[in-house]
Amino acid sequence: MLEALRQRCRKLLEDKTVQLIIGYGQTAAHDPAFPLFITQPDEVAQLVWNEQCFCNLTKYLLKPEIRALGKPAIILKGCDERALQVLQQESQINRAEIYVLGMVCQGVGRPRAPKCESCDVPVPRWADEVIGTPHAPREDQVERGPQSDLSRSERSTLAPRYAALETFLKKSPEERLAYWKHELSRCIKCYACRAVCPMCYCNRCIVDKNRPIAIDTSPTLKGNFAWHISRAFHLAGRCVGCDECTRACPAGINLRLLNLALAQVGEEEFQFRPGMEPSAQAIIGAYSLTDKEDFIR
Amino acid sequence: MSEIISRESLRTMAQDWLQQGGRVFGPVRMESDLVLYSPVSDPQQLLLDGWIRPANSIKLAVLPRHEKLYEYRLKGREVELTPVDLPTAPQLVLGARPCDAGALPILDHVFNWDYRDEPYNARRQATTVVTIACQGHDNHCFCTSLGLGPDASTGSDAMLVDLGDGTYEVRLFSEKGQRLFAGKTQTSQATGQVPSGPENILDLDAIHRFLSGGFESSRWTSIALRCLGCASCAYHCPTCHCFDMVDTGGLYGGAKVRNWDACQFGIFTMHASGHNPRSTQAQRQRQRIYHKFHIYKEKFNHWLCTGCGNCTRNCPVSLGIRPVLESIQKDFQ
Amino acid sequence: MSEATNHGAAAAGDGAAPFEPKIIAYVCNWCTYLGADLAGTNRLEYPANVRIVRLPCTGRIDFNLIVKAFEVGADAVLVSGCHPGDCHYTAGNFHARRRWVLFRRLLEAVGIETQRIHFSWISAAEGRKFQQVVTEITETTRQMGPYRAYRQICEAT
Repeated sequence: MLEALRQRCRKLLEDKTVQLIIGYGQTAAHDPAFPLFITQPDEVAQLVWNEQCFCNLTKYLLKPEIRALGKPAIILKGCDERALQVLQQESQINRAEIYVLGMVCQGVGRPRAPKCESCDVPVPRWADEVIGTPHAPREDQVERGPQSDLSRSERSTLAPRYAALETFLKKSPEERLAYWKHELSRCIKCYACRAVCPMCYCNRCIVDKNRPIAIDTSPTLKGNFAWHISRAFHLAGRCVGCDECTRACPAGINLRLLNLALAQVGEEEFQFRPGMEPSAQAIIGAYSLTDKEDFIR
Repeated sequence: MSEIISRESLRTMAQDWLQQGGRVFGPVRMESDLVLYSPVSDPQQLLLDGWIRPANSIKLAVLPRHEKLYEYRLKGREVELTPVDLPTAPQLVLGARPCDAGALPILDHVFNWDYRDEPYNARRQATTVVTIACQGHDNHCFCTSLGLGPDASTGSDAMLVDLGDGTYEVRLFSEKGQRLFAGKTQTSQATGQVPSGPENILDLDAIHRFLSGGFESSRWTSIALRCLGCASCAYHCPTCHCFDMVDTGGLYGGAKVRNWDACQFGIFTMHASGHNPRSTQAQRQRQRIYHKFHIYKEKFNHWLCTGCGNCTRNCPVSLGIRPVLESIQKDFQ
Repeated sequence: MSEATNHGAAAAGDGAAPFEPKIIAYVCNWCTYLGADLAGTNRLEYPANVRIVRLPCTGRIDFNLIVKAFEVGADAVLVSGCHPGDCHYTAGNFHARRRWVLFRRLLEAVGIETQRIHFSWISAAEGRKFQQVVTEITETTRQMGPYRAYRQICEAT
């Protein structure tokens, strides 16, 4: 699969179909792969494709320095491709000006990342071409059989992708708050979560606003709660669950749990999952005359 | 002949320190594989082995990520200022790496250059640093290229060398170290072995020469392509020290606080006029390298780096200092 | 005993003044604000615990404002505006309503007491409804006691 990828990329550059390949490079096999930008056919030897290819490369489609390099071909996993859909829906990219090399993916990370356990996009659906053939599950893939320790009613409503959230919501509100106090006390406001997220593309982030200050920028509990609540909410209906924020966090904060909360309510209340269906209407920015209001007096 | 101490005695030492009203910092296991330097309230939390190095640095003991500088209240037309007491509680850093300790004398220069930073100095003076010599390294370590090594003594008051049987050889480097360990060690024939560290891979003088003429080089754009402008590198770096002073509070009063800041943020150099002299990531990455390997060297005759590798390990896209320097060196040597 | 069931009088401590909840109400200018005004002109008494913050429309209400209310010490928050279909700006309250559906769930996941956050549609003609809603909320909050949990978060250094 890697050789096929390299050959295709070489051809795309040689034919001048694209001027740039956005893919993955790696120095040591046990280290995460990093984003690689190649413009010369011979450089394709640096491309890798393996379980360490975590990064959501769609982020780079918005960087002016990358755009300046010319028409790109981008290597995308299924989860990353969802981000591409959302960016297109939000008019941040022009899909026609991007060549998508979709990669068949068996999951990243060893052990496999939690998001991969409930992946329903192992093969990118709107790529210009797909590299790899769908094959048998990875040897360490968790069997998605009936979850026998749940009651019948729980089993029928539980989507595997929300399993972690459902378990978490069994805690009392006090326990939940204590959990987030413990997690968010480690936040140092490095904004790596924002930096890796393809959906965080505001020219001036709300946390950078200082006339007046909208979000307390101090890495105190107050400032950390304010930031993470804001960020999660600004991603409502937009976060595709690539979990890059969680991986990028140097303090190991369980950010995906916050994102799952909004993803679940988006699916339950609005039957919407960002980046899954190009014609579906986004949640925020749209409204329905029949949105529920049983909580409003 | 050497002086040795057991791991349990080290924990007792930390407990005594706490009981006397001091603070103790050391490596603590957080979630899964994450080990972070953290204040501890229970010496059993200290994790004294089983890691290459914690993900953060001990600078949090002398330059906290958030501190209050003073408080103010508005009373009519008057402003009432209340200074915050300087921190004086004795601090013990137990279980640092030489690449962490080596940063402290480097930081002393900038915090005592044209202005003596009182909170920094107060904490620095109150801190005793005990390092643990490295028994191994990973592919991100490059301390030897910066003149340090697995048993370097720079910035350390005492060093522990693991004897492999639950005891450590104690090497004392300063009066603080002597005071700390007085009467707590036993004499022994055993001496600790410290393996050689990572290979010295950088020619910093050659890099300095390149930097002297390379400000306009086009390589800064290609180097910075994958950088996303977060502060992961700077905040986990033992030598990075930039900070932001902000007013917090409401209409009638509040506090001036100091928080960590990072040159990689887009608005780091934003002027009030709206002009931003470092508006691209290439300019910001360039500045980071210059600060560490040209400006600081010219000003204080020291590299602003200890080769710990934290930047690359924490970077979401595995950038950091070493890949940049290696790429310069490859083309320029 | 959870914060939510801590009775107000006991929470204030012996000898101290009884607990008076602080309620911040974010209201839209064209409906609820005028409704509150109508309550006033009709001499309908409502508790002085409510602090009214006037905004042009519920659609302008940044969810952050709800968090900020708790940051500055509010014990409860009311968000109120025009009935759906009556928004002065046509659709502002529709956008707000959708946002609230999502935001409540987020706050629930975080562990913030969403029973302290109230939403209502109160028109300019509903002075009595404003009186009723504010009185109810004040009483409920008095029973719940002060919202210490979030204030503790804000005071931690």
